[in-house]
Amino acid sequence: MIKIKNLHAEIDGTEILKGLDLEIGAGEVHAVMGPNGAGKSTLSYVLAGRDGYEVTEGSAELDGVNILDMDPDERAAAGLFLAFQYPVEIPGVQMTTFLKTALNAVRKARGEDELDAIGLLKLMKSKCKELGISDEMMKRAVNVGFSGGEKKRNEVLQMAMLEPKFAVLDETDSGLDIDALKVVADGVNALRSEGRSFLVITHYQRLLDYIKPDHVHVLAKGKIVKSGSADLALELEKNGYADIVGEAA
Amino acid sequence: MSAVTKFTARYKADNADLALSEWDSFNAEHTQVPDWVSALRKRGFDKVIQQGLPTTKLERFKYFNLPAYLKKNELIYAKADIVLDGFTEYVRVLPEALNDLSEELKSTIILSPVGEDKYGDMMLWDTANAYFNDGVILDVPADKSVDKPLNITITGHGNTATTTRNIIRIGDHSEVTIVEYHISSNVSWHNNVTQILLGKGARLKHYRIQENNKNSAYTGNTHVQIGQNAYYEAFTLTKGSALSRNQVHVELQGAGAECFVNGINMISGKQQGDTTITVEHQAPNCISKQNYRSVMDGQAVCTFQGKVHVHEIAQKTDGYQLSNTLLLSPTATMNTKPELEIYADDVKCSHGATAGNLDKEALFYLQSRGIPEAEARALLIKAFLEEVIEQITDEAVREQVELIAEKWLILRTGDNDGEGWL
Ligand SMILES: Nc1ncnc2c1ncn2[C@@H]1O[C@H](COP(=O)(O)OP(=O)(O)OP(=O)(O)O)[C@@H](O)[C@H]1O
Ligand SMILES: [Mg+2]
Repeated sequence: MIKIKNLHAEIDGTEILKGLDLEIGAGEVHAVMGPNGAGKSTLSYVLAGRDGYEVTEGSAELDGVNILDMDPDERAAAGLFLAFQYPVEIPGVQMTTFLKTALNAVRKARGEDELDAIGLLKLMKSKCKELGISDEMMKRAVNVGFSGGEKKRNEVLQMAMLEPKFAVLDETDSGLDIDALKVVADGVNALRSEGRSFLVITHYQRLLDYIKPDHVHVLAKGKIVKSGSADLALELEKNGYADIVGEAA
Repeated sequence: MSAVTKFTARYKADNADLALSEWDSFNAEHTQVPDWVSALRKRGFDKVIQQGLPTTKLERFKYFNLPAYLKKNELIYAKADIVLDGFTEYVRVLPEALNDLSEELKSTIILSPVGEDKYGDMMLWDTANAYFNDGVILDVPADKSVDKPLNITITGHGNTATTTRNIIRIGDHSEVTIVEYHISSNVSWHNNVTQILLGKGARLKHYRIQENNKNSAYTGNTHVQIGQNAYYEAFTLTKGSALSRNQVHVELQGAGAECFVNGINMISGKQQGDTTITVEHQAPNCISKQNYRSVMDGQAVCTFQGKVHVHEIAQKTDGYQLSNTLLLSPTATMNTKPELEIYADDVKCSHGATAGNLDKEALFYLQSRGIPEAEARALLIKAFLEEVIEQITDEAVREQVELIAEKWLILRTGDNDGEGWL
C-alpha cells in the first residue's frame, strides 16, 4: 500500500534523505526510530509535501500512485495524514471552522457529500469525548494556547475526523503525560483497521507497548539501516543506536 | 508650543486649475443660497487659487498624488447623488437646509479648522468649501436613542467630480448609528468633508464602506469633536478607488471621552489607499484607539499615518495606535508613520506597526489537512482581518463587513483588474 523507493531529498542543497526504502502493507503499523537529526521528520515532511524539501530521486507511492507530484492538500485527499511533531498555531482561525473546512474539503475531493454544521458538531463532539478533549477547546483558535499535550491530542483528533488511509505520527507521544499517552494510543488503536496503515515515529518503547507495531525500522543518516520485528525496539531501548549506526556507516 | 505641527509648504498653485476649472459654471448654476454660503465658496476658491491642491511635497501628502490623477482624467462638475434611508428623522438635505440654519451650525461650518489654517495642508477642505452645495445635516437633539441606523449612499457617476459636506451633531446623551456607502461607477472624484459634534455622553457609531470603482478617486476629510464622556466609534472599510484618502482628525474635548478609529484596507492591482489620522487629547481621562489592518496584493500602495497628540492638560490619557499589514505580493508597498506627541506626564500611550507575509507554516498546516491553497490563504487572511472586524459593535454592520471581506478574498484570485491610472 505504501511504497517508498530510493528516496533522496535535500533542504537548501543539503541532502538529508539518502536513498530511503520502506514498504508498509495495508493495515500494518510500522515504527521508525532513530537518533536525533537522522531525518525522521524530514521524511514525514517530504511525504506531506512541505515547501523547501526537494526530492532529487526516488518515489513514494500510496496505493500505486506517486504522491510526490501532488500538492499537500491533494495528498490529504488521497488519504495521507501527518500528525506534526510541532503542531502549528493559527491565531484567528477557530478549531470548529478549521475542522469543518478541512473535513469538507477532503470529503469533496473524495467525492463524498459535505457535512452540514450539525453533522460536523456531532462528529466533533464524539471524537473529542473519545480523546478527552473539552468542547471549550474547539472554540479556541487552532493550537493557540494549547499545552504541549493538548496539541498532540488535537493532532489525533484531526486524524480521527479525516479518516486517512495512511497516517504518519511524528513523535505524537512526546510531551504526553502517562494517562494522556494511553488516551492517545487508544485513539490510534481505535482507528486501526484492515485498510489503514500507520508510520509511527518515536524515541520511546513505551508508546509501542500500547500501539503494537508489526515492524520496527531504524532510520539513521537518511536511510533505513535496520528493520526487524517489535522486539527490535526493546533491543534499541537496551543498547542504543551506537552499534547499528556504526555498522551502517 | 503650537498644538499641531504647521507644515511649511511650497505651494504649487499652478495646479489650482485642476480643482477650479469647473468652478465658474458651478457657481453660476447654484445661486439660490444665502450670502454666507456664497462668501464661503469664494473664500474656498481664493484659497485654492493661492495654495492649489495638496502635492506630494507636503508631509502629510507625501504618498498621495491627487493632482496626477486629475491631470490624467478630465472630470466635469456634477451634483452629488445622495440617497438616504433608515433613520432619517433629524436629517435635512443641502443646499435647501442652508436657508434657515441655526447660528451654531452655521459657525461650525464657517469656522472649520480651515478657517484657523491650523494645518497648512487643508486644501481639500478649501476645495470642498469652493464647491459647497451638497450634503446632509443630521442634527439630533438631546436624549434620543435610535436603534435604526441612518444609511447614506453616495454614488459617483462616470467622469464627474462631486463634493459633499456632511454635518452631524448628536445632542447630549443621544445615541446614533450612521452607515455610509460609497459606490462609484467609473473614473470620478468624490471629495467629502464631514464634521461631527458629539455632546456630553453622546454616542455615535460611524461606519464607512468604500467600494468605489477601481478607477475612481476618493478623498474623505472627517473632523470630530467629542464632548465629555461621549463615545465615537469609527470603522472604515476601504476596498475601492484607484486613489483614496481617509483623513480623520479627532479632538477629545471633554473629560472621559472615548474614540475608536478602526478600519481595514483590502486593495490590489495599482490601487493606492491612504489613511491619515490625528487624535488630539485635549482633556483628561480620555481613551483613543486606532487599529488598522491592511491586506495588499499586486502593486498596491497603502499609507498609514497616525498621530496621537496629548496636550499638557490631558492627564490619564490612554492612547493606542496600531497598524498591521499583510503583503500578499512582493510588489505591494506599505508606508507607515506612527507618531506620538506627548506633553502630559501621567499617560499610557503606545504605538506599533507590522508588515509581513502570510505565515507559510500555517499555510502548510492547513493544506496538509486537505484545504486547497487558495482556500487556506483566504482563511488566514480572513483571520487576520477579523481581529479588527470583530471590534465593530453593530452586529449587522459587522456581518456586512465580513461578507465584503469574504467576497473580496474569493474574487481576489485573478482579480488584479484595478487598472490603476498611472
Ligand atoms: N531547514 C533546514 N535547513 C537545513 N537543515 C535542516 C533544516 N531542517 C532540518 N535540517 C536538518 O536535517 C536533519 C534531519 O532533521 P529531522 O528534523 O528530519 O530530524 P529528526 O530525525 O526528526 O530528529 P528528531 O529526533 O530530533 O526529531 C538535521 O540534521 C537537521 O538539522
Ligand atoms: Mg523529528
